[in-house]
Amino acid sequence: MLPFQIERIYLDFQAENDWVTQHVLQSLPEVPVKGVGDKRGLIKNALSMADPIGEGKRNLFITRFYGKRLKPCPGTSRHICCGYFVINTVTNCPMDCSYCVLQGYLNNPFLTLYSNWDDLLQEIESFLSVDCRPFSRLGTGELSDSLALEPLFPFSQYLVPFFAQKNAILELKTKTTEVQNLLSLDHRGRTVVSWSLNPPRMIEEEEKGTALLRDRIEAARRCQEAGYPLGFHFDPMIYFEGWEKEYEEVVQLLFSRIDPKRVIWISLGGFRYPPQLKGIAEERFPQTRIFLGELFPGKDGKIRYFKEIRKEMYQKMVKTLKEVNPDLFVYLCMESPEIWKEVFGWSPQNSSHLNEFFEERIKKFIGR
Amino acid sequence: MKTIQEIPLKQIDITDETFSVNFMPDLQRLRSSLQTVGLIQPVLLKRRERDYQIVSGFRRVWVWQELERDSISAMVFGGQEKNDLEFFLLSLEENLTTRRFNMVEKAMALQKLHRLFQVDSLEIIKTYLPLFSLEPHEKILNTFLALAEMEEEVKTYILREEVSRFNIRLFGKMGSEDRLTLIPILSHLKLGESRLREMLTLLLEISQRDGQRIKDILRRSDLQSILSQKELTPPQRTERVKKFLFCLRNPRMSEKEEAFKKKVASFHLPEGISIHPPPFFEGRGMKLAFQFRTTEEYRAVVDFLSKLGGKEEFKALIQNF
Repeated sequence: MLPFQIERIYLDFQAENDWVTQHVLQSLPEVPVKGVGDKRGLIKNALSMADPIGEGKRNLFITRFYGKRLKPCPGTSRHICCGYFVINTVTNCPMDCSYCVLQGYLNNPFLTLYSNWDDLLQEIESFLSVDCRPFSRLGTGELSDSLALEPLFPFSQYLVPFFAQKNAILELKTKTTEVQNLLSLDHRGRTVVSWSLNPPRMIEEEEKGTALLRDRIEAARRCQEAGYPLGFHFDPMIYFEGWEKEYEEVVQLLFSRIDPKRVIWISLGGFRYPPQLKGIAEERFPQTRIFLGELFPGKDGKIRYFKEIRKEMYQKMVKTLKEVNPDLFVYLCMESPEIWKEVFGWSPQNSSHLNEFFEERIKKFIGR
Repeated sequence: MKTIQEIPLKQIDITDETFSVNFMPDLQRLRSSLQTVGLIQPVLLKRRERDYQIVSGFRRVWVWQELERDSISAMVFGGQEKNDLEFFLLSLEENLTTRRFNMVEKAMALQKLHRLFQVDSLEIIKTYLPLFSLEPHEKILNTFLALAEMEEEVKTYILREEVSRFNIRLFGKMGSEDRLTLIPILSHLKLGESRLREMLTLLLEISQRDGQRIKDILRRSDLQSILSQKELTPPQRTERVKKFLFCLRNPRMSEKEEAFKKKVASFHLPEGISIHPPPFFEGRGMKLAFQFRTTEEYRAVVDFLSKLGGKEEFKALIQNF
């Protein structure tokens, strides 16, 4: 039983014979399948609908991807980023968060699964064979949720053992509880399973279709038992009346179930968005209150909370987290050196410098 | 081919506006044309048991009546010849060939198709939006349906100020009382498209955030006092109102701006010198601007700035950036 609804599968004729395609079709025997020869026409037609994004989430498009599927995370200009690499296995997501940047970012609204899987593994293999960094971090959770489509195709069963043999880290970022496939895998600590966390009220109001907070934490606990390093992302942190207390309660609940020593990293990122998102999201989520904060354009053109507000939120969260365990590795996502300094009293000089801290952290964690 | 008949005006029901799509019609030109050359195009009427219903030609009938004529040339249809939707479409087609519909008239026509004649939304989007030179999109239909529901005063403002569809949507998010309180205020301000958008957005967001009706925000005494300052020009009043709403919407940013201004004011900068924080206080470094016309003025500026650099309060301000 899927936790979300797929009404139709659009199958690119060129992907018909891929084994991944066959696997997905077997997972969804009841769902009608429509063959597609004209991909552009399909997308153009979808884009003319009243809510192409909502429509796209209910329709799975299986196709092949012909470009590069492993890329450096675009991060953001004039801010410090973590030097992550993005693996493109799926684009779009069946869940529907009001703040999701994909709403304004993807020009193909369909939940799209790329069936030329063997090519992808080959691409990752080639990348890692020439990559001289000791522990590059790669993740599938940027253009989709890493685990949301596990019931259709068990990505993790291929990726986790693959990375177990490498000196690189795979991060599976999710808001789901789809961890069953992971539990029996031999991961050798090379896969970090991480959850995006927010207070229950924000999950209910702004993260439609995602798992409840306590269920996410329970899924994390199961992964902890299976020996996986865990990551948590308080991103986006949302400023609302009562935020301090509610975020503190999330931290308390989290560490009542999770051993801080099993947590490899925690990121903090204030709600931010590209200017075009507001119009799209307000139309799709007329009740959203997420844009009611004091939000202003930053040096990279993205809109963020007023600096004083971000500073206050990060300082409070870092204090709360460090009280749990001073050794927790906490970092800021897409923030300026000024904010880093005000929050931590120091700042990485640039993104590569931050990346070095990650490498040290991973070595320490894996070597333990 | 229908024959043209002379129909007495008193037999025409001018109160029945079932097929009328008129808002703020400019009758002056028509009046002058009818006076000069008379009626060229007969009106279209539907015969009823006791009188005639106007299908097309409302404006001509109004002016004709104003000119105190007794009868008008008309093409008369039997009541059973077409259904009401067909009559309405006939009216639309006839009108579209002779004049342009304004925004409100398009809205009225679409609302009639939707509500009165029960035409399916998809059919309206596909067939009728292009008829009015509108993009076939649900969002567009919803914008026009919302406009049709608005009050006369709001519709008049929208037409007069040529308000964009985006801003019409913002008006559509407000309640009727809110709009009716807002329109007289907007009419006293100097607002272009983007200023109007900014102001409507601020009002809507303050209202949503604080759970307060827009009409109540607008009735606040501090805002009313800005509006009642007669010495302000419309652009000055607009600026003050905008600033007021911005502060209400962004209290922490406004507090920071105010503190910065106070600090800078304490330096008693001479005229022509100004100090600015980075945009939205994001990033590092302040901006200094100065003006001079003569070498003496330039020296005075440099001298002042040099002394300013030695002041502890100034050093403290710099440290924050």
